[in-house]
Amino acid sequence: MVEVAEDAAETTGAAGQVPDRLERRGDGTRRPGQDQPGPGGAASRGFAEEAIDHLDTLYRGALRLTRDPVQAEDLVQDTYLRALRYQSSYQAGTNMKAWLFAIMRNLFWDRFKGGRPEDVSLDGDGEVSLYDTLRDETAMPEAEVLDRIAADEVVRAVERLPELHREVVLLVDVEGFSYRDAAEVLGVPIGTVMSRLHRARRQLQKALYEYARESGIVRADGDR
Amino acid sequence: MNCRDCLERLDQYVDRELTDAEIEEVKRHLVECPPCEDHFRLQVHLKRLVKVCCDQGAAPAHLRARLRQILS
Repeated sequence: MVEVAEDAAETTGAAGQVPDRLERRGDGTRRPGQDQPGPGGAASRGFAEEAIDHLDTLYRGALRLTRDPVQAEDLVQDTYLRALRYQSSYQAGTNMKAWLFAIMRNLFWDRFKGGRPEDVSLDGDGEVSLYDTLRDETAMPEAEVLDRIAADEVVRAVERLPELHREVVLLVDVEGFSYRDAAEVLGVPIGTVMSRLHRARRQLQKALYEYARESGIVRADGDR
Repeated sequence: MNCRDCLERLDQYVDRELTDAEIEEVKRHLVECPPCEDHFRLQVHLKRLVKVCCDQGAAPAHLRARLRQILS
């Protein structure tokens, strides 16, 4: 069972507020002194230091992408090696997390998937809405059903998404990237980010619903 | 705004990708439409759940040490 704190997704999903797209860096932070590094760079931190700040988050992303701790380590290490090699192309004060994710994501497709992705066609797949199904079949509030699902099972559902859908969920839902930043990392138009995200969420709903049914959290015959 | 328009914008609403005017439109519809409001709550909940569940765990210490060496 998972405790979802009300403020848990503060940076990712509290709807109804003004989008802070222009102000937001992908990592939600803005460090004084970095945006305008002074002569000599006294006010800015070193590239390595800033890069290493993102290690945990990159590792978690790598784990979700590769689904394997050994491969995740390799992927992260290669990402940092490449980042080091191309550090001159990184502009201080811009979104380093997004930059690192873009490197990692490209490496993932090159090394682990043997090339750049084709778009996935999943017409008709994942088009079951948890909401509609639960509405029809149970009297349990949908959020309550979700709360009864173990955290491991949620992670598994994310990891079972096709990679192209999984990476959008990782960037937008887990890392809190704006659509624009996610589109930049993935090298696709914003519309593509939106459609992949929408499909990914439908697939997640479907997977979690199936799990809820299999594990007896909800029963398909209309009883709880 | 009708339900169809609202549901089409729900992802963007949940992800804070709408303009102020669009946010107001969706909000106004949600207040008047319990089924759409339920959709919205479920979406927000799912997004939080994914965030909370996938955002756990740190990189192994040996990896951090190795990278520090590489980067120094």
